[in-house]
This record gives sequence, structure tokens and C-alpha cells, in this order.
Amino acid sequence: MDNRNKSFYEMLKQDAAKEENKSGEMKLDDIARVKVLSPGRQVFKRFVRNRLAVFGACLLIVMFVFSFLGPLVYPYGQKQIFYKYDAQNVNYALAKENSTYNGYVLDSSFEVERSVNNLMNSSIKRMLEDGKKETYIFGDEVWHVEERAEEVYVLSLTDSRQICVTGSGKLTVGNFDTISGKLNYSSAEVEGLEEAAAAANMKGSGGSFTYDGVTYDYARSGGKSYDITTELSGVNYSAEAPGEGFEQAMEKAVGKDDCFEFGGSDYAIMKDGQRYYVYSVENDRAAKVFTRLTFDLFEPGNSVSDEMRVGALMNTDGSFTADGREWTAADEDGLLIIRGDDGKEFAEMNTFSIRRYSGADTVEYDLKKAITETVEQMQDEGNKTAELVYRLPQQSETGEYAYDEDGSLLYQDTELHITQRDTGEYVINCDQIIYVIDRFAGPSIKHVLGTDGDGFDVMSRIMYGGRVSLMVGFVVVFIEVLIGVIMGGLAGYYGGWVDNLIMRLVDIFYCLPSLPIMIILGAMMDALRLDTRVRLLVMMATLGVLGWASVARLVRGQILSLREQEFMVAAEATGIKVKDRIFRHLVPNVMPQLIVIATMGMGSVIIMESTLSYLGLGVKHPLATWGTIINSVSSASAMAHYAHIWIPVGLLICVTVIAFNFVGDGMRDAYDPKSKG
Amino acid sequence: MLKFTVKRLLYSVLILFFVMFLIYVLMYNMPMGYIETKARELASRPGATKSYAEWLSDLNAQYGMDKGVVQGYFVWLSSAVRGQWGDSWAWTVPVTQEFRSTVWFSFALGLVSFILEIIIAIPLGITAARKQYSFSDYFTTVVSMICISMPTFFLATLLKYVFSVKLGWFDLTGMQSRNYMFLSGFGKALDLAKHFVLPAITLTVVSIGSLMRYTRTNMLEVLNSDYIRTARAKGVDEHKVIYKHAFRNTLIPLVTMLGGSLPGLFSGALITETLFGIRGIGNASYSSMTQADVPFVMFYLAFISILTLLGNLISDLLYAAVDPRVRLS
Repeated sequence: MDNRNKSFYEMLKQDAAKEENKSGEMKLDDIARVKVLSPGRQVFKRFVRNRLAVFGACLLIVMFVFSFLGPLVYPYGQKQIFYKYDAQNVNYALAKENSTYNGYVLDSSFEVERSVNNLMNSSIKRMLEDGKKETYIFGDEVWHVEERAEEVYVLSLTDSRQICVTGSGKLTVGNFDTISGKLNYSSAEVEGLEEAAAAANMKGSGGSFTYDGVTYDYARSGGKSYDITTELSGVNYSAEAPGEGFEQAMEKAVGKDDCFEFGGSDYAIMKDGQRYYVYSVENDRAAKVFTRLTFDLFEPGNSVSDEMRVGALMNTDGSFTADGREWTAADEDGLLIIRGDDGKEFAEMNTFSIRRYSGADTVEYDLKKAITETVEQMQDEGNKTAELVYRLPQQSETGEYAYDEDGSLLYQDTELHITQRDTGEYVINCDQIIYVIDRFAGPSIKHVLGTDGDGFDVMSRIMYGGRVSLMVGFVVVFIEVLIGVIMGGLAGYYGGWVDNLIMRLVDIFYCLPSLPIMIILGAMMDALRLDTRVRLLVMMATLGVLGWASVARLVRGQILSLREQEFMVAAEATGIKVKDRIFRHLVPNVMPQLIVIATMGMGSVIIMESTLSYLGLGVKHPLATWGTIINSVSSASAMAHYAHIWIPVGLLICVTVIAFNFVGDGMRDAYDPKSKG
Repeated sequence: MLKFTVKRLLYSVLILFFVMFLIYVLMYNMPMGYIETKARELASRPGATKSYAEWLSDLNAQYGMDKGVVQGYFVWLSSAVRGQWGDSWAWTVPVTQEFRSTVWFSFALGLVSFILEIIIAIPLGITAARKQYSFSDYFTTVVSMICISMPTFFLATLLKYVFSVKLGWFDLTGMQSRNYMFLSGFGKALDLAKHFVLPAITLTVVSIGSLMRYTRTNMLEVLNSDYIRTARAKGVDEHKVIYKHAFRNTLIPLVTMLGGSLPGLFSGALITETLFGIRGIGNASYSSMTQADVPFVMFYLAFISILTLLGNLISDLLYAAVDPRVRLS
């Protein structure tokens, strides 16, 4: 139809042109004086005359360029996370008085018992309390702890032998097996006791028997064996008595000390309840050295090897060799300083350790001294906090250290805050420039609309979001129109029961509340944890299916009237197939109205999509749509503080929908100036 | 007229039947719904004697969800017809009780915005039509377009931002101030009214655009008709032409449309109520929907479907009643 019209108008125009050429001047009724336009151009002209519609069309073009071409030239992606360097108050260092004794292995040929190792801290502390220089720890073996120098304690393994038991209480004599009739002594052997025990005919859970004037108790220890105990009295030797006067020496020590000397050899006393076990100890073999001292290096870059550490601890006032070098350690003005063979200070050993908060020992010696002094001052004054200004390496804006021409670090006065924690540690805070995600940055040249809570650039999110939002609009409207045209075309053309059936279907879909259904569907997809792209597809399909009814109603109405017109009679007379009659002859005549309803529909679909995404029931977070961008700042506090994110997006939604409505309105007026709005 | 009404009513019942069936199918298939959550909770309790699967089948039987979709639907339908809507799972009260406690808030909100809408939109629409292509016409057209295009959630957020955050005049959400308990009866009413201001503005702005356009279009049509030309030709006072001859005829479509939207006043504003924390039926149903509270959602959707159908019927009947030229067949 369009083609025919065109050729007709073309003919008219050609005629007019001929006329003009012939005469050269124009008559009053000349056909060329009346400007003849094709219907398409006429519609276009009417559309262009409508200022609002043109404005809307321009907005739409801008919006499409912005959303679909913008990301191509815009430097940032939609999921690109931005970082920044920011001065933040960080925990710079941690200072504390060392409270535990750390052990360093001296002789690795044998192992220290774990229980003994664990007892070291408390043993050393008890030694300090009692003012003793040495003590013994009793594990499977007897271990000797000796103060070697101030804060340095050496743990040695001894060759020990139990000499005797004294005190009061029960003494376990041994274990008697009633089947074999053997007595395993755990203390001194008593002659004839084995026979006596066998004669006692032990039964039940326990009992007693007398032998040699001593009462022995027995108690079942398991199966057919019995533990035999007796009341302890006097000194009960389990080995040969060391000699005259031993018992006097022992009695002097028992209960007060845990060791004594007799006849040139050492004896250790183990207390167990009321009983005292006496061991002879000899041949100390140093196993570990324990200390609270830590090394403060003068050059932070150096490190301390175990060999060096052990050497220094064992020779706190003298020289030693470690790592192939000669070192001297000496007490200089109350500081324990280690110097290398060139006489240069290498490290100081003290019990107040200052480390970077991460635990690394990279704090400069001078800073350590300064912090130590400040802490001492704090302790004197009883303060919990103190401040200290010290020169720390200067940081550039990008968090890197600055160097001068010679390549040495530049320094900058930095304020350090020292705070004592309840645990007794001192935390040193200062401002440092560190690399963080640039969250909620305000608008700047780099980020026109700032960044959002994930460090994404809002502008690029809006561009990519526009793609999805506009695409949703197109797809949904396409589905609506497709179903609507087919259903409406069939209903309008056939009429009768087909029409009746389809129109009832239309009524049902008209009545279905689409927002509640979309909300239910969104909650459903939440529960299924669907991927956000799948959600997008499901959402588009559902919106399309829910929205076809109005299109079908419109198409049916138009076709009902068109069906009766002459060209349809002609089409029927020429025997054109029914399918072609509907979709090639009837539907194209509904095109103008369809385009109008589709354009207006785009707006409402965009609103629907953004509403659902805003509620968190549509498209989900990492995928950007206009709704999700607003949703990301929808909490009350975010809404109040980050208006630069949601206001532009909201306005964009508004402007786009307005543009679609203006264009749709303008097109309707252009197609049919007499139509009702 | 009666025959038409009865026929339409019967049609409506038929439509309702299928609409509710579609919704029931949707709700029936809702995964991870209330029952699954409840069964999981009961099965993981200390000393639980039944497994998840057993609890699930028990609860399904208890809540009447163990039948097939079709049978389940008819069971629901038969009890619904008898007025037994069941107990809401999310609100743990009978559905009708929750409905009664919320619907009046929704109605109040709807009524206020409905009145405001009429007061503002109709005069503006008439003014625009009287002076077609004038500045006021363009202004009205653009304003109504903006109102139509404004997403509710954006407008609500914008109002909250300006009036609650920046100016601090209203609370962000909720229906009561903190000192509500200490207010007198009248103070309580005022306090409640204050919390309805922003939601009412939101609803009005969102719905004002279409009425404005509708009034303008219909007024224009009337003003272009022959009897107006005749009246003007007779030399009737322009004021009289507009407000007596033209406006009365414009009222026909207006009354039809407004009458049709009367039942909608009860349906609640889902998004507005949710965003402003108004305990209306829209808010309640939103919570129910996200928690898969089948009885309440079924009730609410049935309710608004009935309201929609009722609205259509009312507008058709009004059309015939208001305009004597129309004869319903």
C-alpha cells in the first residue's frame, strides 16, 4: 500500500516538475504550489513540529549513545575496583616487657622433656622469688636449672639416682603379682617380703598384713596384682647410703631447699606431698638456655642467627665466636651491648621488646630507645597514653618511601601515639599512607560521579546499567508485542469462539496483578539462588508474558474494524492465504498504534524493572542496572550520605521514561492527530 | 441493565477462578517456602524426633499442601468461598484479623491521595485544555509526564531525603513518633497524620499525571464538539460555556474512571507503604510475599483481583448511569 502511494506521489511530483520546466512560471492552481508529501513524510513532519516529541527523541538518542557507545569510550569497566592511597591511623608498633622465657637449644643431641620445658617459666619465676641461684625440675629425669647471668638461665640434664625417701605418709613398696608370686619393688627391697606377701593370700579389693613388725597395706591395682604400701618412717634408702652425716645434711635441707651438698656431690630433693625423695645428681649436660632478653639491632637490616644468639647469651660478659666472626658482649652503662670484631655496636640485649605490629623487627634502634624512654616516663607518671614525635621514613602520596639523590631514605616528623593496653602492652599508633579500596569517593575529575560501596566507578556503572535497563525494555516490549499481535490478530480475524476464548484469556491476564507476581517470583528466585543473568532472563520473559493482554486488545479492536474494509474483501477475493491476510494485510495497518503502544510500554517496563531491582528482587548486585545502583545505597544512612550516587541514577530513569512517553505521545499525534490521548 | 450486570458478574467469577488458579500454581511451587524453613528448623532442634523429610511431609499435611496442585486449589477455593481464609504463617494470626488491622491504614492513605489527586489534577487538566498550546498547557503536559514517569521508589527516596534527612520535618519511616505513648488522644491522631504526609504526597504525585492528561484530552474533545461552538456562537458567557456546558460533559468519562478506581482505594500501595513503613495491607502483603506466606498472599491477591474486577464493573455501570445516551446490551 505504501509502495503504491509512493509511486503515485512520485508521478504527481514528476508531472509538476515537467509543468514547471515547460512554462517557467507558476500558475495559481499549479499542482507544484501544493506541497505533496508521502504519508510517511507527513507523519514525520507532524512529529517534528511537536517540540516535546523532538525533545524526547533527542533525549533518547543521547541516552542510547550514552549507554551503548559510552562504555566503548569510557575508560573504566563496570566491575573495575578502584583503590586509593589514604592516610590512616594504623597500629605501627607494639612494645612490651618480655614476660616469658624463651629457650634456645645448646645441645641438640638429646631432647628436653616437654613437661620440663613447660615448667621452665614458672620454675625460673619461683627461683627469682626465692632468691635462689639454682633449682631442680623433676620429670622422667632430673633437670638442673642454674642462673648463668642476669636473665640467663641454663637448663641441664643430670645423671640422677634415687638415694632415699623420707618424710611421712604412704610409701609404695612395690607391686605384687599373685599369679607369678613376684614383687616388683619401687623403693628399697625388703628381704622376705615377697614370701610374706604370697603368704598373705591377697583377695578382694584390699587388706593388710604384717611382716617383721611393719604393717603393709595392699590394694588391687588391676587384674591379679596388688600395690603394697606401708607407712613411711625414718629414712628409707633405695640405694647405698652415702655415708656418715648424710642424714643430718639432708634433714637440714628437707622442707626448705630443694638441693644440698654432701661430701662433694650434689643432691636434689623432690617433694611429693609429705614425702621427700632424695636424688644424687652429677654430670650436668647443658641442654637449653632460657632468657627474656631480646636483641635490638642497631642496623634494622641485620639479623641474628641462633648461633649468635646462643653465643651471646652464654657469654654476656666476654667474647665469643659466631657466624665466623669474633664478638664481644659487655655491660656498658647498664646496657648489654654486643660489638663486632671491628668494635662497632651490633645489638643491644634487653627485656623490653619493641616490634612492628606485624611482628617484624624493623624498628630503628633510635626509635626503640625513644619509645623505651617515653614508656618509662609514662610508667613514672602513671599515664596510660603518651605522645612522641619521631622521624619516620617519609611516604609519598602513593605510599612509597621517598629517597634523596644519594638514595637514602628521607624522613619526616611523625606523631606517634603510645597507648597502654589493659594487657600491659604498649601500642604505638601513627598515620601511615596505605592502599585501600576507594569506597564512596565523592565526585572528582577521575570519577565524575564518585565511586560506590565496592569501589566501582558510578558513571561506568550507570552506563552499563543503562544497557541492561534499556535492553530489558526492548526485550519485554518485543515479547509483549509478539504475543499480543498473534493473539489479537487471531481473535480479531476469526471472531466467534476463537475471539471469545482469547478475549477471556486477555481478561484473565488483565486481572493478574503483575507487581505482586513479580515480587513473589523474585523471592522464589532468591530461594533458588539463581545466577543474576538467569534472573534477568526469567524476569524479562515473565514481564513479557504478563503484559501482552493490552496489545492483544488493541490489535483485535483495530482488526475488527479493518476486517470489514474493501481491501480485505479484495484480499479474500484474490484467494490470499489466511495467514498472509492477517499478518501481511491486517497487522501492518495496526503498525502505527503498535509502535505507539510499544514506545509508551518501554517506559513502564523500565520503571517496573528498576523498582524490582531496587527492592532487591530483580537483577542482583554485581550486574549493574539502574535499579541495583540505587538499591546499593538504599539504606537510610547510605541514602543520606551518598546522594551523589542515587539522585543522578533516579533522574536518569525519570528522564528516559519521560523521553519514551514524549516520543510515544508525539508519534500518536503524528499518526492520527484526532486520536484521544 | 440487570441482565448485563449479572452476565458481567458471572464472567468476573470465571475470570477470578482462573486468575486465582494461576496464582495458586505459582505459590504452590514456591521453593524454600515457609514450610521447608519450618521443617528444617524443627528437624534441627535438639532432641528432634523426626527427620527433615518426615517433618516436611507432616507439615505439608497439616497445612494442606500435600495434595496435588489442582486438588489443593479446590480445597483452598472451597474453604475460601465459605470465608475461611486460614491463618497467616508470617503473622501467626488469622488472615482476616491481619487484614482488618491493616486495611484501614491503606484506605486512609488511598482516600487522602485520591481526594488530593482530584482537587489538583482536574482543575489543571481543564486549564490546560482551555488554552491549548499555551504555556500553561505545555507546563501541565510536561508536569503530568514527569509525574507519570517518576518511579515511586525514587520519588519516595527523594522526599525522604529532602524532608526527613535535610529538613528534618518528618520521620524516615514508621507511623509513630518516639513519644507517641505520652501523647493525648488528639496528639496521637495528629502524630499519625504527620507520618502519613510523605506517603500521601508520594501516592498523589505518582497518580496525578494520568488523571491530568485524561481530563485534558476529554475536555479538549468536548470543547471541539459542535454544541460548544453553538453555545459560543450564541454568545454564552465563556465561563458558563466552560463550566456548565463543557465540564458537565467532561464529567462523564471522569466519573466513569474515578468510580472505577474507587475499589482500588482498599488495595493498598505496596511500594509506598513498604518504603515509608506504613502498616497497611500493601506492606503486610509485601512481607508475606517475601516469606512465602501462602494463606495471606492468596487472600491478598484474591482481594485485589476482586477489587480490579469490581472496578471494571463499576466503571461500566457508571458509564451507563451517567450518560443517558449509552444503553448497555
